[in-house]
Amino acid sequence: MLANFKKLKHVLARFHTVAKGMICLLFIFSTSSGYAQNITVRGKVTGTNGEELAGVSIQVKGTSQGTSTDVNGNFTITTSANATLVFSTIGYSEIEESVGGRSTINVLMTAGAGQQLEQVVVVGYGTQRKRDVTGSISTIKGDDIAKLPATNPIASLQGRVPGLTVSNTGNAGASPVVRIRGVNSTNSASPVYVVDGILQDNIDYLNSSDIESIDVLRDPSSIAIYGLRGANGVIAVTLKKAARGKTRINFQSNVGNQVVHDKISITDAAGFKKLYSAQLSNLNAAPFDYTNYTANTDWQDMVLRKAVITTNNLSISNNGEKSSTYLNLGYTYQQGVLKYDDYKRYMFRLGEEIRISNNFKIGGDITGYHFISNPAAASITNALWAAPIVPIQLNDNTYYSMPSFQRAQVGNPIAALNRNNRNSINKGYRAVGNLFVEYKFLKNLTWKSIVYGDLGYNTGRSYSQLPFSFVNLGEGTAATNTTFDNTARTSVSQSQGESKRFQQDHTLSFDRNLGNGHLINAVAGFTTIYSYGSSVGASRRDTALNIPDNPDLWYIGIVNENNPIFNSGGGSESSSVGSFARVSYSYKNKYLLNGTIRRDGSSKFAPENRWGTFGSVGAGWIVSSESFFDNIKAINFLKLRGAWGLTGNANGFADNLYKPGVSNASTAIFGDNIYTSVQAAYIPDPNLHWETVKGIDVGIDLRAFRNRLNAEVTFYDRTTTDILTAVTLPNDTRSFFTNLGNITNKGIEVSVGWNDKVGKDVTYSISGNFSHNKNIVNSIGDKINFQLTGNGGVNLTTTGQSIGYFFGYTQAGIYQSVADISKQAAFGNSLPGDIAYVDRNGDGAITSADRGYIGTPFPPYSFGGNFSLQYKGVDFLFEGQGFAGHKIYTERRTATFAVLNYESNRLNAWTGAGSNNIEPILDNTRGNNFLMSTYYLEPADFFRIRTLQIGYNFNAKMLRSQHIQNARLFISGQNLKTWSKVTGYSPEPIIGSILGGGADNGSYPVPAVYSVGLNVTF
Amino acid sequence: MKYLISISRFKKVLMISILITSSFTGCKKLLDTDRQGGYDASNFPYPGGSGPYDQFIFAAYNDLRSFNVHSQAFISATSIRSDDADKGSTPADGGANAIDMDNFPVAPSNGFINALWIGYYSLISNCNSSIKEVNTNTQVSSTSAVKVQTIAEARFLRAYAYFNLVRFFGKVPLIDTFYTDPAAQNNVPQVPATQTYAFIESDLQFAAANLPAAWDAKFVGRATKGAANGLLAKVYLIQQKWALALAAAGQVVNSGLYSLISYDVLFREEGENSKESVFEVQATASAAIPQNNGVQYAQIQGVRGSGQWDLGWGWNSPSDNLATTAYEAGDPRRARTILFTSTSTVPGPTIYGEVTPVGLPNPRYNNKVYTNPAMRASIGNRFGYWFNLRVLRYADVLLMYAEAANELGNTTEAIEKLELVRARARAGNNTILPAVTTTNQVTLRDAIRRERRVELAMEHDRFWDIVRWGTAQAVLNGVGKTNFNASRDVLLPIPQTQIDLSKGVLVQNPGY
Repeated sequence: MLANFKKLKHVLARFHTVAKGMICLLFIFSTSSGYAQNITVRGKVTGTNGEELAGVSIQVKGTSQGTSTDVNGNFTITTSANATLVFSTIGYSEIEESVGGRSTINVLMTAGAGQQLEQVVVVGYGTQRKRDVTGSISTIKGDDIAKLPATNPIASLQGRVPGLTVSNTGNAGASPVVRIRGVNSTNSASPVYVVDGILQDNIDYLNSSDIESIDVLRDPSSIAIYGLRGANGVIAVTLKKAARGKTRINFQSNVGNQVVHDKISITDAAGFKKLYSAQLSNLNAAPFDYTNYTANTDWQDMVLRKAVITTNNLSISNNGEKSSTYLNLGYTYQQGVLKYDDYKRYMFRLGEEIRISNNFKIGGDITGYHFISNPAAASITNALWAAPIVPIQLNDNTYYSMPSFQRAQVGNPIAALNRNNRNSINKGYRAVGNLFVEYKFLKNLTWKSIVYGDLGYNTGRSYSQLPFSFVNLGEGTAATNTTFDNTARTSVSQSQGESKRFQQDHTLSFDRNLGNGHLINAVAGFTTIYSYGSSVGASRRDTALNIPDNPDLWYIGIVNENNPIFNSGGGSESSSVGSFARVSYSYKNKYLLNGTIRRDGSSKFAPENRWGTFGSVGAGWIVSSESFFDNIKAINFLKLRGAWGLTGNANGFADNLYKPGVSNASTAIFGDNIYTSVQAAYIPDPNLHWETVKGIDVGIDLRAFRNRLNAEVTFYDRTTTDILTAVTLPNDTRSFFTNLGNITNKGIEVSVGWNDKVGKDVTYSISGNFSHNKNIVNSIGDKINFQLTGNGGVNLTTTGQSIGYFFGYTQAGIYQSVADISKQAAFGNSLPGDIAYVDRNGDGAITSADRGYIGTPFPPYSFGGNFSLQYKGVDFLFEGQGFAGHKIYTERRTATFAVLNYESNRLNAWTGAGSNNIEPILDNTRGNNFLMSTYYLEPADFFRIRTLQIGYNFNAKMLRSQHIQNARLFISGQNLKTWSKVTGYSPEPIIGSILGGGADNGSYPVPAVYSVGLNVTF
Repeated sequence: MKYLISISRFKKVLMISILITSSFTGCKKLLDTDRQGGYDASNFPYPGGSGPYDQFIFAAYNDLRSFNVHSQAFISATSIRSDDADKGSTPADGGANAIDMDNFPVAPSNGFINALWIGYYSLISNCNSSIKEVNTNTQVSSTSAVKVQTIAEARFLRAYAYFNLVRFFGKVPLIDTFYTDPAAQNNVPQVPATQTYAFIESDLQFAAANLPAAWDAKFVGRATKGAANGLLAKVYLIQQKWALALAAAGQVVNSGLYSLISYDVLFREEGENSKESVFEVQATASAAIPQNNGVQYAQIQGVRGSGQWDLGWGWNSPSDNLATTAYEAGDPRRARTILFTSTSTVPGPTIYGEVTPVGLPNPRYNNKVYTNPAMRASIGNRFGYWFNLRVLRYADVLLMYAEAANELGNTTEAIEKLELVRARARAGNNTILPAVTTTNQVTLRDAIRRERRVELAMEHDRFWDIVRWGTAQAVLNGVGKTNFNASRDVLLPIPQTQIDLSKGVLVQNPGY
């Protein structure tokens, strides 16, 4: 009976559901047929001091419909008469107002802290309220990026987001190396950039000031919707749009000076002479005759300079009844600190949106970008290596050559600098744009189609001029003479490259408040990406004439066609197709659930290996919204979240590697006849497929003590399987690219912030973040029976260790005497003054078996913090950042191909028993001292003052009379001080190579930047 | 809640239908992208007719000019290790990699030995690839005679590579297959040297049987029957298979295709591919392409001066021992082998009449790689990339013949062949280099060995000669290379990099 009753209840319930569904459908149709119940609401949002609040988000509760206030704090929204509006903006407490038929609603917002959770974040083909997110997404506001002097916006993210590693270079206009949550792959570990929807490998073409916000998507549930592109994390960039209201003009400018503080300490002439003499004596060689080498030249100082950086930006926005327009113009100029590297960039962006009707929008956006760059004419390693005893030049056309012990390998750095300067003209052009159509129908459904295009064109011309004359100073019996290389010839070269990328996205989204606390948001879509590139290059050397140093002549046609040095041309083509869907559901704003599915195909794999399905599920529980939490006053918000996801990676490797390729680059010679040869270009892997990243992400988000404290703690554990790897083969030089083994990255990310007010005028905030990542290679697969090596065996990748770790000996000290050698383990040919190594296996001798793990190039710990203070018009910002646990390999010190200038550590070299127990004897022919060991590793832990900035906001009332809304003037210092033990230019991790990372060969210095800036809004 | 389920079910249906429709609408075509600007194996326009496999074997010839095969490391391991030459250059130049080759022992971490390993296995891979193409490429149609000849050419070059490898390293992995699944197959253990020698012999026997005696002028320098027999003689000689060595050398001698030319011209550019040449690494250069079609061989050994005298690195400097003790009085080969540079009292002219500057870092340079200044000027390059490396020449074959004959007790023939070499060296001056007449096998053996040293000085055989004669310990200790220990140093160590890569499958040579 009971069972029957239950069955009946079930049937009734089903009927009820169906009926309700039908009613719902009727409701949808009836409401979508007109706007009878909608009213237009206007109003103004102000702060407690009467200031008009611009950019406040106004959302119709339970829907994604919304708007934001204009610069005067005014807003207009059309909504149903009984809707509830939610007002939110960063730094203020969220306010809900029910419309209740009113047409004017003025709102007063009070400053409150920790409102980030009300922010909207990008989640891939859509946005979501931060409070509803079940994964790990961090948002950085564009304004925080724009106020730092950097040509690449990503450079400014350093230290701001837990789990995000940004390794900068000082090279003018260069992109930093970016990793999210450690290294997931042995191949490409760079995240994908999504700029207003278009997938990009870099965002060099963007202006920092043009960015509204950057969202860093780190966990598998947030990135699964990007399928085969998402595995290394996603950096989503949202560009600025026109704010509601009247025309607004903003001008930003800052000018800075870059200075290298942390130079590499190398010996001067006296130091060099002392060390080289000692070395010759250790080699039992005749002393060098320094008679004519009386100079003391600091070559390093000569090739570095103080360099200018300036970024300027003008934006004009207009948002009217039916359309909005946003125009941005930018100009950036950066000199490199290495002479005479520079980079000039011009850009514009025009965004237009036309609202044809309330439910039909079309629009488009185009960014144009043009750069002119001049490569560095000097070489850092050249300057570090050149002997300091040589004078620079005799006159404009005559330089001094290096002494005979390095003449063949090391040139005069300043001669090279002056010969190569302004000998090339490199320009690039790029246009990135999109067109979209958005149509809302049946009230809750939105169709959006976007097509994107990205066209790039780079061109370069260069010239190689005749060398200078060189004075060879007399040494011993050799007399001083002056020589000119009369076999040298002038040459010119030209290169051009094009790139094309087309992407289309079509999405259907559904957003509905189902009543009774049920909110649902879903999106489904289809996307394709097609990329193509081609390049040509040629060079000719004139064997009859000397081409003058005149850029008007630097075209290959200037040289007779019978004098080619090379001609080359190549291309690349790839494509991908994907379809995807996501459903997010929340119940009573307490229980959150979402799921994602994506099916992707990539042309990089054989047809049978091409398609893969990826997806994720996530859940969240806003504990603080439960009734039992009402009594816990201290905690304002508490969310527990967890997500699981599966995503793929098919990034960053050449196309068509699954098919055999042949190369005809080499030649056979018979007599003077030249014949083309053919060989396998690489070893194809017909079973090549994507790598898979599977992981979980569990976290807690908290706000407490009247929202002044906010904290996020996240644990993650992700495993990459079938890692795509370029393998160095034994007994073979061909390249081989295949899938191998799996790697796990586990970690914790913590960020904590505190915001408060002291009295009426002082507000401050302190925040910090910390992350720890542990990388373990679980397996390198059963496909290979040999070792994975990097950088010629300096790095190894083995099961149970972190990827690409340093492999070598551990220094125990220096053998002080023959007796000392006999007392401890040594090589058979160890001599006093050699590095003593630790006998790991305790067999009494040093052998190759005594090598082992000696460090990792990838930092397991990273941390960052900032403190900001505002007092009336004055604001102050301090940012610090660092990494810990990684090591840097001073590979630049292992060069033995010639006598090179010494680094200062060698001044302490061992000279006899008891003299030194770290620095080996000066003798570059003692091979035992050049083996990979801890002697060449430096702990690279560091803390750096990233930013120190003081700004002044001019009084708003005073400005208004000048038609100025807002004006801020600031002075700023970047990278002011770094605490580290590293002797190179920067302790930042060297992570561009994954199997062979961490080697410092004189990497480009990261300079300190001192700048002043202005930001005015009219 | 129930309502929600029905909605989500509706959504699910919607989702699935979108997925299905989207996945099958024309995306298959979009995903078929072809390699741009590079051939793949399916669209390479393989030539028909004559020499259809030439492109593949040419890749192996290309490797003969590679830096890892015949340059810095090769010169160091064959010549600087011997008593004929010192490292040269400035004391610290080249660091431990270089000086250890001169002074012993060579460390397993030495970069040069790893370069040799990589270089020679790359050459072997391209030989194996050619053989595979002949056997499996269905897009090329050709006669079996053409196929056999191509295989013979590949096997000749492969044998040359293994012969150098086995002499450098002793036990090496024997790879005779072009691996297409390298991940599973490449990590091959070493085999005993005897097995490698047997393999080399069979390759060379096949090559000798199937290579042409000579090539058309446009292919001058390609592997010939004579080259295969000459190399085979050397392979037998090192194994003291005297009769076989005699027979193989006899094949070259009796072919009638080779003769001795002027010793002076022999090492000039115009002496390349002469009647005396049995096998040379071919190199060329032009003003437009001064280096890419050449070999970095002469430059490593070129005069280390400045300006116009910057002809190279100044390595492989002829030793004091070679200059002062090796030659008989008046032997013109001494001056043709050793370039004595100017001192403040004695000018040091080159064979082209230029006078070398005073105060060069080294008193002597290898005169057998001295380039013609007219060539340097016309090509616009000082570094001699166009200079052919003489791998095997007729005088060497004659001396091998003489040595084998003497060991077999046939002193008459030995004396006769020895005299051919000495007579040429005399260049008409009968007051020097008197004919060797002794029929005492031991005395004659010494005479042949001494002749071999001076005739072939700086030509990369000396170290291996003293090793096979068993005199290396005495000879090298005698010239001050006191670290040399024959029980270890006759072989180079297996490169540690390769042992690491092999995960210990490769085993280090004794003593290292």
